[in-house]
Amino acid sequence: MLTGSKSTFKVRQMGPDIKERMLSQSGMNARSDVLGLPCLPGEVVLQRAVMVRKKLTAREGRGWLSGTLFCTRFRVAFVPQDAPKPDDNADPVLLGDHDVALASIEKVVVVGPNRTKLVTPNSSLKFTPEELVLYCRDLRVICFLFDRLTPDAQVLEITHTIAKTYQPLKPGSVSAFQNAALEMKQFLSNRQRDAHMNWHESAADWERELERCGATGWRVSSVNDRFEMSTSLPRYMAVPQKVLDTELKKIFAHFNDGRIPRWCWRHPRGSDLLRMASFQNNIYHEKDDIRNLEMILFGCHGSLCVVVELGDELPSPPDVQLAHGRLRALCLGDISTSVTVPDDKWLSTLEGTRWLDYTRSCLKKASEVACLLRGGHMTVALQEAEDRDMSCVVSSLVQVMCDPYCRSRHGFQSLLQKEWVTAGHRFYSRSNYHRDNDKEEAPIFLLFLDCVWQLWSQYPSRFQFTDDFLLALHDSAHLPLFSSFLANSQRERCRRTQNVGQCYTPVNGWREPHSPDGAAEPPDPPLPPVWDWSLQYSKRRQAGFTQPVPQTPAPRPLLNGNLNAETDARRASDATPGSVFLFSRGVFSCPANLLPWRGAAGISGVYRKSHRRAPSSESVPGLERLLSVRSLARAPSDPDRDPYRPLLPLLMGPCLGLWRECYHRGALHAQAFSHPLSAEHSHPLELLAREVRGLHRRLTAEGRPSRGADINRNAGNGTFLFSGPPPKAPASPAAAEETPKENANKHTFLFGRAADTRSGRSDSKTSDSDAS
Amino acid sequence: MEKTGSVDSLGSKQSSSRHPSVDSLSSSERSTQVKPPSMMSDSATSSEFSPEIRVKPKTTAKNFRDSDKEELQLLPNEVVQDTAQDVTYFCPFTGALCGIVTVSNYRLFFKCTGREPSFVLDLPLGVVSRVEKIGGASSRGDVSYGLVCKDMRNLRFAHKQMDDTLKKSIFEVLMKFAFPVSNGLQIFAFEYGQVFPENGWKVYDAISEYKRQGIPNESWRITKVNDHYELCDTYPSTMAVPVNIPDEELKRVAAFRAKGRIPVLSWIHPESQATVTRCSQPMVGVNGKRSKEDEKYLQAIMDANAQSHKLFIFDARPSVNAAANKMKGGGYESEDAYQNAELVFLDIHNIHVMRESLRKLKDIVYPNIEDSHWLSNLESTHWLEHIKLILAGALRIADKVESGKTSVVVHCSDGWDRTAQLTSLAMLMLDGYYRTIRGFQVLLEKEWLSFGHRFQLRVGHGDKNHTDADRSPVFIQFVDCVWQLTRQFPAAFEFNEYFLVTILDHLYSCLFGTFLCNSEQQRLKEEIPKRTVSLWSYINSQLEEFTNPLYVNFSNHVLFPVVSLRHLELWVGYYIRWNPRMRPQEPVHQRHKELLAKRAELQKRVDELQREVTNRSASSSSERAGSPTRSITPVQTFV
Repeated sequence: MLTGSKSTFKVRQMGPDIKERMLSQSGMNARSDVLGLPCLPGEVVLQRAVMVRKKLTAREGRGWLSGTLFCTRFRVAFVPQDAPKPDDNADPVLLGDHDVALASIEKVVVVGPNRTKLVTPNSSLKFTPEELVLYCRDLRVICFLFDRLTPDAQVLEITHTIAKTYQPLKPGSVSAFQNAALEMKQFLSNRQRDAHMNWHESAADWERELERCGATGWRVSSVNDRFEMSTSLPRYMAVPQKVLDTELKKIFAHFNDGRIPRWCWRHPRGSDLLRMASFQNNIYHEKDDIRNLEMILFGCHGSLCVVVELGDELPSPPDVQLAHGRLRALCLGDISTSVTVPDDKWLSTLEGTRWLDYTRSCLKKASEVACLLRGGHMTVALQEAEDRDMSCVVSSLVQVMCDPYCRSRHGFQSLLQKEWVTAGHRFYSRSNYHRDNDKEEAPIFLLFLDCVWQLWSQYPSRFQFTDDFLLALHDSAHLPLFSSFLANSQRERCRRTQNVGQCYTPVNGWREPHSPDGAAEPPDPPLPPVWDWSLQYSKRRQAGFTQPVPQTPAPRPLLNGNLNAETDARRASDATPGSVFLFSRGVFSCPANLLPWRGAAGISGVYRKSHRRAPSSESVPGLERLLSVRSLARAPSDPDRDPYRPLLPLLMGPCLGLWRECYHRGALHAQAFSHPLSAEHSHPLELLAREVRGLHRRLTAEGRPSRGADINRNAGNGTFLFSGPPPKAPASPAAAEETPKENANKHTFLFGRAADTRSGRSDSKTSDSDAS
Repeated sequence: MEKTGSVDSLGSKQSSSRHPSVDSLSSSERSTQVKPPSMMSDSATSSEFSPEIRVKPKTTAKNFRDSDKEELQLLPNEVVQDTAQDVTYFCPFTGALCGIVTVSNYRLFFKCTGREPSFVLDLPLGVVSRVEKIGGASSRGDVSYGLVCKDMRNLRFAHKQMDDTLKKSIFEVLMKFAFPVSNGLQIFAFEYGQVFPENGWKVYDAISEYKRQGIPNESWRITKVNDHYELCDTYPSTMAVPVNIPDEELKRVAAFRAKGRIPVLSWIHPESQATVTRCSQPMVGVNGKRSKEDEKYLQAIMDANAQSHKLFIFDARPSVNAAANKMKGGGYESEDAYQNAELVFLDIHNIHVMRESLRKLKDIVYPNIEDSHWLSNLESTHWLEHIKLILAGALRIADKVESGKTSVVVHCSDGWDRTAQLTSLAMLMLDGYYRTIRGFQVLLEKEWLSFGHRFQLRVGHGDKNHTDADRSPVFIQFVDCVWQLTRQFPAAFEFNEYFLVTILDHLYSCLFGTFLCNSEQQRLKEEIPKRTVSLWSYINSQLEEFTNPLYVNFSNHVLFPVVSLRHLELWVGYYIRWNPRMRPQEPVHQRHKELLAKRAELQKRVDELQREVTNRSASSSSERAGSPTRSITPVQTFV
């Protein structure tokens, strides 16, 4: 039943609490530990220490929290003294609010009376630590303080246990964390999938997306159903209706890794966003192929295609890796190395990381593409050599800017499924969870999250998700537990979960526990997707992931952009049929060899006529005018004037901020930075709202509901406090309960983050409110 | 705390200020009456705080009202002096614009002709630091003028060479009215006769402010020794000093302190009785002179606080500068002479360094910003570093008083620049009262105006001598520090960012009398309260513009900000507000006002419902005796 005994690591000294420890080994069904730690199925408490205090960050209200520290094979858990008794019936949460997954720990440092020491699995301690500092990969720093009353043995034991358990001894080996996770497979596999989002996994999912965007002229092709055409592309993709599957099959060879132009999104004005890998140049272009290549590239717009080259202006994966490494080193303020950047060099050192430069260039590129798409009647094709890094960033940023749906939590999750997870971003290699592939490591996804945060901080009220959600996503990306991140392509994900009928040798170090009768083994239960938030976050924390947004009627998609009245756009689309422009470094050009098949000699056929004419020079200024929206200083946010206006970020130096809530969490010296959130202390507005609700409830309870119906009218000046008329005669208390709930949301919007200043958070409390 | 009857040295209160007719004005008239004096009142909603470009919405109902604002609306007693057609304004952001320039005795008004959306530039002449004629006549016969402004921008205009050589260029006319002091004219504030429903001159009364702090008490008394400004002409007439030092001894202490600025009480901790006192440097000199009276005086300050047997002397200067001052007769307290006192240098640089730093900052933000080197350029101005040092100094003071329960003495050289910054910031951290709108006004009136920060010299109101070495952005720096505090504690301040920007705008505008002159004595002599309008009259008449909707009254909390450079930011909303590409993307100011309205409405509804519940429970108490009652705690609002 338990495999805890299999992994033998020596505990140097058996503490007096060995009995308790044995007791704590709970069975698959027992959830609550006798010591107060609700264990997960199969989880084993390895060590614990009592009378430990956890240092709270400003966000948690600052100060210290006393409790018990546990180390299991899966996490370092901290149970506060006065924590409410865990409810045995509640769904278990993998990580409590105060827990750290062993897998996210990067470094263990102890602080003694007058020294600090980095603890490695092999190191021995010559002093009793007073403080235990866990540096995490997600830039958190968690600090525990041992009390003098904590038994020395416990202190030493837990330090050693954590140091030995948290990381693989050699690169590539399976960490204890994953062993533990595997033990929980049963538990993890029976999770329900979130039905509110589009997973983009089935053909129906893609149909739904085409329909949502009003993308006529496109169909879902299952030509890659068995990943035979391209190993990195998903099973289903959206291609022009005009192209048959048999024709399509010949196209794959013309693109790097078979990543042909695929539809991503349609702008309400009718332009389509495509993405593709670079062309295979050393291939013979048959006449029929050329026709199909042209068709697939132009989609349902015969006239104009703009190829946006992503390679030369955006950072390469090694650039991003280097920048992120520098940023980490700068922000973490590591006490074990004592090399910190002096304060007066902070700004230039931050600049020197180039991280902000890179976010700027990604956002700039995405804004340009977003502006181009406003033109209507064209396809904009993002082209990157491999189509698996920057095109994920840019295509999803464009959609976040243009599509309000992508700024809701579920919409954003669907977007990430579409443009990252199924599109084959190499999460596994880029994350390098096992430290065995340093060459490929590059936090492209984290760069993207930073870009989204920049947009969020400039338009806080236009997003339904909050920066807490972005932070949760940021932290989850560091946990090697989610199927979303533990594979490089959809194919790998599928092979893991399905019995493909052949012996599967993992490519990148993921070892399945060896089973003697491999053939008869049922398929591995799938790992959970990252979107299963209740695995990690309590209901309370999840409630902070979203905020109400004012309802702006979504612009209706225009069919083929025919209703488009804007002159710029019409000008742009007046181009000669079949014009292709390259957009690179902010300028449009039409190099002869842009489409390799066109440059080839001896082209004949239907397209020849249009090729002979040089592309109309008029269309270039038309396109450029589309871009000029970016530089035009307009009145801030006037959504009524142009519902299709994308959220364009300000990109000047002073406008890009550092995501402090994320990168500065670890800077212990700066923990006083304050926007504490505390559930106990309410803002007066909230108190007022609660008061109104309470009084209203009391009035209805008094049994004269007719008065309640007047409430909206009473409010005067047209502001309705309750979203609907309260029930005339509440039949059940539940009905009466409903109205206040809706109301609460409304209020949260009113004085919540929606009213934020541009880059700052105006939370409703100062730190001092918590001190009292 | 406003006591109408109390007479402070600022002279008699204006009886005319609360004109009875004001209240009978219709609301629309009243709103226009209140609005015009702001340099940016109308634009605050549409483009946040930068009024330079006003975009006219095409179809909204607001259009009608906004179109009025595009025409020049003269203030009371504002007179148009000259108008010129066909003047080109070289806007660094949108290119050259042609239009009409009007110069009055208060402002320069430029309206672009034939351009949609219309473009208006409304510039109080007070912000002009220098006017220079650029180059000779160009080939087209244009003459070009550059206006260097005190509020982080430069403007360039050009117009055709005058045919009539005797006629003065409009910019020559402008020069006369931009520098009235140099031209023997009166600053416009003396002519501006606007009447507001509130009288800002009543905001601060020294006696009641001391009373609020519990002074006089057994250790501190209020002295009238400076009633005629004989002890110290840069101090106010009302001061709080230790009880056991008689007035005669105060005079001997004054002899030992630079400019006679003896240590006086700024703030006293309501519980521990630890105090913040301020003064100027001791006149130690190269020979290390001592003063028994001064030593006794500091001992008395220490003894007034029973909690601690130590006194901290914070010298705002770098120690090198403090030592260098000995050559000029000044210096610092030696720890031999002052027993139990510990001297700490706070390393804050002098006014010249600060001026240079802000000049560099202007260079990198106006008009163009170099994106790729923005942060290192910002670092090279050292502006944020200076901000950090000032905040760090104030933090140490606040920490010593609050956590150490120790009294502190703060001084720099003269005790009117860095000292004012430090004491007022420490007081903001320590005392929630100063974080309210009125409290902040009191703080400025007390620590800055009454204790003689030399606004006239530092700003150079109406003075054409722009190279004057006495000019320095000391006060701006202080307001910047306050803004940094509001960023870190967004719910602790009753006022919003617009309040701070407005204060800085009217620091230069010369529309209000508040920041005129160098000391209380001068203000009294010039009869400023009688002859001018207070900025607080304007602000307090439309508080909703300046109120932070997120404010929670944490009056008993001490704010300890993080002063690491990692947590300081450049105040983009002030320094770079002229750049249209820096506008906030969302109308925050507008939304905050909506929040305030919502809050007021909720409060109203609570009151209504409470009344109803009370009525009903009175009527139905007999039949519903068993129903659970919910105790209703009255909720306060801070609107």
